[in-house]
Amino acid sequence: MRERQTQERPPEAARGAARPAAVELAGVTKRFEDFVAVDDLTLSIYEGEFFSLLGPSGCGKTTTLRMIAGFEDPTEGELRVAGRPMRGVPPYRRPVNTVFQSYALFPHLDVFENIAFGLRRAKVPKDEIRRRVSEACALVQLTGFERRKPARLSGGQQQRVALARALVNRPKVLLLDEPLGALDLKLRKEMQIELKNLQHELGITFVYVTHDQEEALTMSDRIAVMKDGKVQQLDTPANLYELPANRFVAGFIGQTNTFSGEVESVRGERVTLRTAGGLELEAFAPAGREVVKGSEAHVAVRPEKVRFGEAGDNAFAGEVRDVVYLGSSTQYVVELKGGERLVVYRQNAREAADSGAGDEVWVAWDAANCLVLGE
Amino acid sequence: MVRGAPILKRVGSLPDWALLLFAGLVYLFLYAPIFVLMFFSFNSARSTQVWEGFSLRWYAELFRDQSVLDAFYTSMVVGVTATAISTVIGTLAALALARHSFRGKTLADSTIYAATVMPEIVVGVSLLAFFVAVQFQLGITTIIIAHVAFCISFVTIVVRARLSGMDRSLEEAAMDLGADPPTTFMKITLPLILPGVMAGALLAFTLSFDDFVITFFVAGAGASTLPLKIYSMIKFGVSPVINALSTVLLVATLVCILGGSRFFSRKEE
Repeated sequence: MRERQTQERPPEAARGAARPAAVELAGVTKRFEDFVAVDDLTLSIYEGEFFSLLGPSGCGKTTTLRMIAGFEDPTEGELRVAGRPMRGVPPYRRPVNTVFQSYALFPHLDVFENIAFGLRRAKVPKDEIRRRVSEACALVQLTGFERRKPARLSGGQQQRVALARALVNRPKVLLLDEPLGALDLKLRKEMQIELKNLQHELGITFVYVTHDQEEALTMSDRIAVMKDGKVQQLDTPANLYELPANRFVAGFIGQTNTFSGEVESVRGERVTLRTAGGLELEAFAPAGREVVKGSEAHVAVRPEKVRFGEAGDNAFAGEVRDVVYLGSSTQYVVELKGGERLVVYRQNAREAADSGAGDEVWVAWDAANCLVLGE
Repeated sequence: MVRGAPILKRVGSLPDWALLLFAGLVYLFLYAPIFVLMFFSFNSARSTQVWEGFSLRWYAELFRDQSVLDAFYTSMVVGVTATAISTVIGTLAALALARHSFRGKTLADSTIYAATVMPEIVVGVSLLAFFVAVQFQLGITTIIIAHVAFCISFVTIVVRARLSGMDRSLEEAAMDLGADPPTTFMKITLPLILPGVMAGALLAFTLSFDDFVITFFVAGAGASTLPLKIYSMIKFGVSPVINALSTVLLVATLVCILGGSRFFSRKEE
């Protein structure tokens, strides 16, 4: 899935500095009494982009979304939508629409009137309202449900009404606040694909808030990983996974093995460090990441980048502690001589030899897959 | 739990007939006086103790008595006006308390609740003292003002309960879709809290219509509401006319309540 997306939208295009910005935040801070929800946030969201704000609860992602929608005003900094400064502009005069986490469908209005609500406020002629609402219903596969009240719809259908109600207004930017959170897993997967296709078809900028890293990786062109009101890393899904900026991102996106140790030598991008358990690790520091000899550093290696065998820049003997069969792959927990524990994924191919708990094994990985992390 | 268990068992082992008897006695205590009162309103004799035959003469007499009809009219005017005013103010107060935070909110909140348990006699005396102090002519206007004052709290409490059950994001969604605050209120908030507002209004009307103590203090010589009229009639002896009047009031109230609950259950669908 990730591979496919990277091919479709190469990182250069997604980054494209020349693309016009749909939403710009410059030094935006939001304080609630003494709590800083969003801390000096600066970022640009480009037109037609599927942009995700990803992070654990309380990281400031929803507050950021609510500031774009106009429900909160930034304490400091400037926010622009489609080039227009938004300070003091109320939600009902902003060119954005929101899909709420709770859907917030009007319980006293039927599906048609829910979807038509925005058009009626904009004084769109009656014929056009009828046409656009039925188009929107068709778009989200709700034709025939126009006269139902929200209470008589399933969760998935309610979600579609919420989506149609926002999209029918043709907003410049669509804001989505964990819109799939209340759906069961299967429906969520289906809706992820539908949402992505819809965004592709309509070309509307989507700003998507989620705490689900898999969801963000599957759907987004770019993701801002947030923690404590700050962006930890803003990048394409592939870069977030392959080149996490720091320990938080490495741990939050996918599974990872991290080691800490003292830097012994630095030769260009190549770094050697020694862990407290005595392991000597060959690692790779991406350009721009400063590594000082003698300082403490953290490195990360993904479980699927570790092989069984002795061939590799880093090769260590260990003992298998735990084996978990995961279907397409098997997860091994290997304890190294120094006491460090390492998670290894291996594809379940017929020819692969089985290792059981208690077996003595060698594990190895290349320096290029062992990334030095920033703080 | 452990201590409660034997007690539960003892109640459980009570014979069914004893429980039925007890429940029956409770209902008898609650409703027997009312039924007796209604029963004797149809008595052909003047007595409210000895039954002599069915007749509607006391109802006829009731509707011929101009002073009773005047009092009924006054009560209706006071009830409708006080209900209208207190429903609007009470609903607005509920919105302010539920939706906004402001300096002195806790104080405003607790005074609203305190007003509902304030002894009526205190409210009556203080309002009378106030009207006299500002030299306000006692009459129907002072009754309405007093009724509005004590009805607001009840409306606020009922409407607020409804508001607290309402998802705040519904109003945000309306604004997000281009509705300014007045439109949001008219199209979303008001329709959704309407059952609460109606319940509050019904309560306010009921309270206003049968209030005696406060009205007694602020009515002055000019105006008389139905409860005041009944009281003055009783002073000259209990007449079956009062029974008839009480029956009419009871039936009217029941019709109101039933109609109201019908309205709400339809709304909820």
